Order: sequence, then C-alpha cells, then structure tokens
Amino acid sequence: MSELLADDPEWADVVPIRQYENVNPIAPIFYSEEYKDATDYFRGVLKTGEMSPRVLQLTERIIRMNPAHYTAWQHRYKTVISLKIPLEEELELMNEIATTFLKTYQVWHHRRLLLTALTSIDAAARELEFLKTVLRADAKNYHTWSFRQWILAHFNDEERLWAGERAYIEDLLEQDVRNNSAWHHRFFVVFSSGIRLGDEDRDQMLRRELSFVKEKIALAPNNPSAWNYLRGALEHTNTPFSTLTTFVELYTTSQPPSRGRDEDVVDLDNPPPSAGAQLPAVAALEFLADIYEKEGGDASAKAVEIWKSLANEKDVIRKKYWEYRIRDALSKA
Amino acid sequence: MLNHPTPTDGYETYTSRLQKETEELIKKHRPPHDTAQIELQKKLHFEFLLRNLRQGFPERYTSQDASQPWLIYWTLHGFSILGVGLDDQTKKRTIDTLLAMQHPEGGFAGGPGQTAHLLPTYAAVCSFAVVGRPGDGGGWDAIDRKKMYDFFMSLKRRDGSFLVSHHGEVDVRGIYCLLAVATLLNLLTPELLAGVPEFLATCQTYEGGFCNASFPGWAFEADDPETESGSPKTYDLSAPRPPLGEAHGGYTFCAAASWVLLQPYIKLYYSSAGGSLPPVPSINTRALLRWCVQMQGLPIELGGFKGRTNKLVDGCYSWWVGGCVVLAETLLGVTATHEAVPHEHHEESDEDGQKSWDDADDSLFNRKALQEYILCAGQHPAGGLRDKPPKPADAYHTLYCTAGLSAAQHRVIPSEAREKAVISAWHSSQAHAKAESRHPGTAYAPSSDADREMLDELRKGIFAHAMSWSEEDGTAVYVGGAANRVNATHPLFNLTVTHSDGMLSYFYGQTPPSRYANKPATK
Ligand SMILES: [Zn+2]
Repeated sequence: MSELLADDPEWADVVPIRQYENVNPIAPIFYSEEYKDATDYFRGVLKTGEMSPRVLQLTERIIRMNPAHYTAWQHRYKTVISLKIPLEEELELMNEIATTFLKTYQVWHHRRLLLTALTSIDAAARELEFLKTVLRADAKNYHTWSFRQWILAHFNDEERLWAGERAYIEDLLEQDVRNNSAWHHRFFVVFSSGIRLGDEDRDQMLRRELSFVKEKIALAPNNPSAWNYLRGALEHTNTPFSTLTTFVELYTTSQPPSRGRDEDVVDLDNPPPSAGAQLPAVAALEFLADIYEKEGGDASAKAVEIWKSLANEKDVIRKKYWEYRIRDALSKA
Repeated sequence: MLNHPTPTDGYETYTSRLQKETEELIKKHRPPHDTAQIELQKKLHFEFLLRNLRQGFPERYTSQDASQPWLIYWTLHGFSILGVGLDDQTKKRTIDTLLAMQHPEGGFAGGPGQTAHLLPTYAAVCSFAVVGRPGDGGGWDAIDRKKMYDFFMSLKRRDGSFLVSHHGEVDVRGIYCLLAVATLLNLLTPELLAGVPEFLATCQTYEGGFCNASFPGWAFEADDPETESGSPKTYDLSAPRPPLGEAHGGYTFCAAASWVLLQPYIKLYYSSAGGSLPPVPSINTRALLRWCVQMQGLPIELGGFKGRTNKLVDGCYSWWVGGCVVLAETLLGVTATHEAVPHEHHEESDEDGQKSWDDADDSLFNRKALQEYILCAGQHPAGGLRDKPPKPADAYHTLYCTAGLSAAQHRVIPSEAREKAVISAWHSSQAHAKAESRHPGTAYAPSSDADREMLDELRKGIFAHAMSWSEEDGTAVYVGGAANRVNATHPLFNLTVTHSDGMLSYFYGQTPPSRYANKPATK
C-alpha cells in the first residue's frame, strides 16, 4: 500500500465516503490525513460489504492507528471467516498487535472469537503461554486476566489447562504479594469454577488455602488483597470467621509477638507477623470486630470498641462507615 | 488528619513501590490548612470544555474516533454540572451530529458509518437529554425507538446478558447503558429484562465489587457469543457461573446502578413467597458497600478513590466508586432512616470544626476528603481535570471528576414523598400510548390482560422510581465555600435531574407535579 489509498490505483474502484456529509459536526477530532483516508475508504467498503484480502490490510491499517475501532475489528473478523483464512495464522499475526495495544478491549475479544472458532485445546494451551508473556509486561491487565479465565472455563481441560494455574499464581504472588489480579485468579481457579482435579476433598482444599493465605498475611499484614481472599474463602465455604480468632489476634496487637522465646514450638496454623510488620493491621481489627459482632451478646461491646478506634484513630478516612457499623450492630442487638 | 504512608510492613513489592511514588506526588498537593482558600477553577474548566466543543479535539483523540458520542456527552454534561447553558445554534449542531451516528438498524454508533454499540447509544441518548426536545428539529422524535428496541433484543443472550454490539463482547457496562437508555426512553419490557438480574448477580466477586462479565457455559451448555442468543431457557441452577475478572470501579458502578434500576421489575416479576414467579435474585449489598468504602484512599492520598484493591487513586473513580456509595446505601435502606447516632465520641475529635460536617452528613464515605482530592489534585492548572498529577487533563476525566465532585457535594437519594406524588399523577393511558408508539410491528406485545396490567405497573414503577431521586434538604457541603458549588447529578443516569425529568416525562407521556411545589415560596 502506498501512503494514501486515494493515490493507490489498486483502490481506484472504491468510492470513499466522508464521515460527515451534510453536517458541520460539533466537537470534531483532528485526524491525520492517513487516518481520514483509511476510514473514508473503510466506510466505502462497508457500504458494498466487500470482504477481500485488501480489506484485511485496510482493517489492520486502521487498527494500528486506532485499536479501539470496534467496527474495523468486527469487519476484519467477518472477512477472516469469509475468506477462510487459517485462524492460527490470524492469531499469530495479531500477537504483535496484542502486545502493543494490550489495554484495548477489542484486541482480546478478537482473539476470543478466533479461539472459539478454532475449538482446539492445543491452541488454548498455547494461548495461555502467550498470555504469560503479556502479563509479564503488565501483571494486572484487566482484559488479559478476564480472557485467561474465559479460556480456562471454555476449554475446561483439567490436565492441559487448569493444572498449571496454581503454580503460576504462586510465582506471581512470590513476585508481588499485593497483585490483586493474581489473588482474584486464584479464587477463580480454586473456588468459583467447580472442583479442580485433586481438590475433591474439600476440607483438605480449604485447609491448604487457609494456610497459604495466612502465610501471605504474615509476610505483609497490611495487604488488603490477602485479607479479602481470606474473607472470600471463609464466606464461600460457610466457615465462621471465629475459627480464625487465634490467628487474627496476632495481628490486632500493637507489638509483634517477641520471637525466640518458644522457637521450638512452631504453630503452623497461626503464623506470626513478620519482624517488619506494622501493627495492629486495620484489616485484622476489622476482621476481629466482625467475629465479635457475629458472636453477639457481651462481645458486641468489644466490636463497638474496635469500630470506634478505627473511626477515630486508626482508619479515620472511613469514619462514617465505621460509625454506620456501630449503628447497624446496635440496631440489631 | 494524619498523613501516614500506606504501611508496607518492611516488605516492598512492585505495588508498594508504585504506591509510594504516587503518595509522594499527591502529597505535594495537600490542601492548605485553611480549606476556605481552595478554589474550583470554573472559568478554566469552562474554557477547556468550550475549546473542545467549538474548535474540536487534537489528533491524539483519534483513539476516541469510535466513541464520538462520548466526547459530546462528557463535554455537554460537563457544562451542565458547571451550570452553563447552551445556545440554540450549538444545540442544533449537536443534534445533527448525533443523528448522523444513528444506525439505520437501530441504536447509535461510535461515529457515522460505524456499527451500532450499546456504549455510544447511552452517550448519545444522554446528550439528547441535554440538548434535545420534542418536535421538529428537537432530536427526541428522531430517535428510532422501535429499531432501538429490536437492536437491544438482537444482542440478548440466553444467560440474561447482552453483547455490546454484533460480534462484540458481553460487558456489564453495556448492560448499564442499555438499562439507562431503555428507562429514559420507556422501552422496558419483561421480554427485554428476562434473566438480567440473575446475570448481574453472577458478576459480583468475593471482594464485594463487580467484574465485567461471568462465564455462562456450564449453566447454559454453551457460551458462544455468535450463536447463543434469545430468551433465557431453563438452565442448570447448580452449575457455577464464575465472574471473569476482578472487582473493578467502573463495572461496580454499572452493576449497582443497573441493580437499582431493576428494582421495580424485580418487585413485580419475582416472588420471595414461591408460587409461579421465580425466586428473588440477590446480591450481597453489605459486601458492595464495604468494597466501595474500602476503595477510598488514605489521607496521604487526599481521600481520592481507587478502582481496584491495591491499585492507585484516580480522579475518575470519584464518580464510579464515590458515586456508587449512595447506590449501595439505597439498596441497604440506610438512606431512608435518620435515627440518632451515638455521637459521644465526637466531642473529643472536634478540634477543627469537624462537628458541623458530621451533623450535615449522613453519607457513608468521606465527602470532604473526596472534594479535597478533586480540587487539589484533580484540577489541571491550565483547565480541565485529570486522573492525578502530573497527568494532563482530558475530556473523560474532566466529566467524571466534576461528576464525582457533585456526588461529594450533594446527597441525591430516592424520596418516598416524591415517588408517591409522581404515582398519584400517573396517567396510564398516556404512558401506554407513548410506549406503543414504537410499534406497529414485531416488538413485544403482552399475551394476556394480566400481562398487560403487569407491564403498565412496571412502567409506572420504573418512571416513579427514576423520578423520585431528589437532593436531601440541608445536606449539601462545599469544600472551599459555596462559590465551588456545582449542580447535582442524578446518581443513576449521570444527568442533572432537570434533564432526566424532562426526557422521562416526555417518553412516558406524563406531566409530573413540580419538584418545587410543596416547598415554601422563597420570595
Ligand atoms: Zn481514570
């Protein structure tokens, strides 16, 4: 293709269509000549419904200038299908565009359409590997994660697809224990999507998850991602928060428990806060108050005490919320 | 308030380092001790918006070429929030521009000649609410509602979700856009809404916020967006429908607003008592509220909002999450009650006039801090608003920062009195005529008299609920003083109530009683 399609004899048979014919538009965008030229011809092509190799080139040209042009993506997909382009080839071709424009919805949706049409576990497994390279560049990319979860659920192959996920998540959390996307992914794999191969014993699975998240809390006690995971795991399995009172109380005091005293007595169920822990952890106080609230009776007063200290001292930005919790608990008492 | 950094427990990671850098940057914009000096640069923001509208957008906005109705909506509603009216010539040009984006098969596209899409459809219809009117050249009657309804139905999938466009993805934002538009234009039917509440409920994650979509394949035995369309059929209730993606501010607002918009439908078409109606679907509203308030940043972050756990504060979440708090409150029923709070501890924390704030303020997030974030960190010195310093201003952040500022200044909640007044003035036959005007044709027709009565009840309920949102007297608070006041905006549509009232009244054929009729005259 030469610089402008308007100068290209190969496009001479297409009538370009200007964006606004009889309207003096409000709030117009100052496009480059190249963009205006490409989209004028694209509108022309849409009008005739042409699906051809040159249309594939044209859509790619537009996508590279504006990856959010969903109509260009839509027409590209229809053209790929209509020309019976090998879908693996199209996926391959789109790898570079995906890594360049990874924050764009359409990039990932196009791959999803291709994979759906491909119906190949091999392709799905390769895609999971490709996504790892993308997530290396941007470990919290929303659409990439959402897409990864869709692949796992859609192709649903325990040995080829699901089996590697927990280890992958553990790598990511090893690198950054505060990566909430990785925590969410773990919840998706372990709890939300049915029962994984090897996780049939649900009590054992829950024990494993609790000990995993407790270790991560011990490492960095003020990490809301880990606390949310812990709460989620307990709620999902209808496990009372109070089963973790001993653990949580290690994080609600101002001082980490002195080490060395009972070095030979290692309580695996209740890993203590790290030496650098900044205590008490607000999330632990909230958790303990929830335990007291649920217990009711005399314990309610202890919950109210904690909420007051959160409201007035330890988490003042959420003062209104903690006061609401007090009001709410008292109205139910 | 204290300015402690976010605790890192002596264990640094990528997230905590980025957080620390951001806190250092934002800290420099800490409000002055005397907050009365903080000024909203209305004139500069007005000029920023006017430049975009009149002169147009620079080339980097090519990325928004498929979002042109959004550029228009962000700018127009920005004017409305700032209290600026538009001249007739600008209105006319805007209406012509928007109509050039209406798709021949219904709905609006991101630009002329593009394919129709739910997101620009919302932006276009909301823009019409600002600039349009009934009658020739007014735009409202040029919206093809029948084709729009058909377009909506063509996107419907069996799991209760909707594609955002043909061959497009499923996304909670699209559902919100569809529901907001169908509410404003009187297009809601049980056929359109079937399965939508159940779908939304599956998008709530364990954190309490919502994600962008859930996976339908196990419950519905297929999840191919190309072939799986149509009304919901029986499905496997025990099969998981897991959320895809983590809890996120944008999706959480869209899901919560959708849930509130659906309440009249849920009341009529579901039953908690068994029988022939399906069981009432539910979300965890307490978890939703908790998630929203947890997203408010610490004092060192000036109380701006984040969009996800362990991510950074960003001005646009002032609206998406800050504006979502009142929706969670509404669902919890806490907006309706005003019982006394055990206030004894206020005495001790009352050194800097804190008390006057607390008394006026029933909201469950920190309205004062959010205003400080927007005013001190969100304003770009050259006009327009932004994510955070030192980023440039843009059209999107300008609207959602000002809308967030509005949500932090004004408390707009459903008023029972207003709802009753609207219902008592309801004209069923006119509403019916307006709704039916979108077909002769193939669109939904109730199959029995009982169904027709239900549908009339639904329209009345939807209209009265949407019209009932009102600012609670005496609850407005302005950091920097009343000169910083911006207009209130409707928590469900993000339009001023004047604009949403106008559009709703027309498309439901109603003449509701004046909002100001029962207030004492101020002359
Ligand atoms: Zn933003």
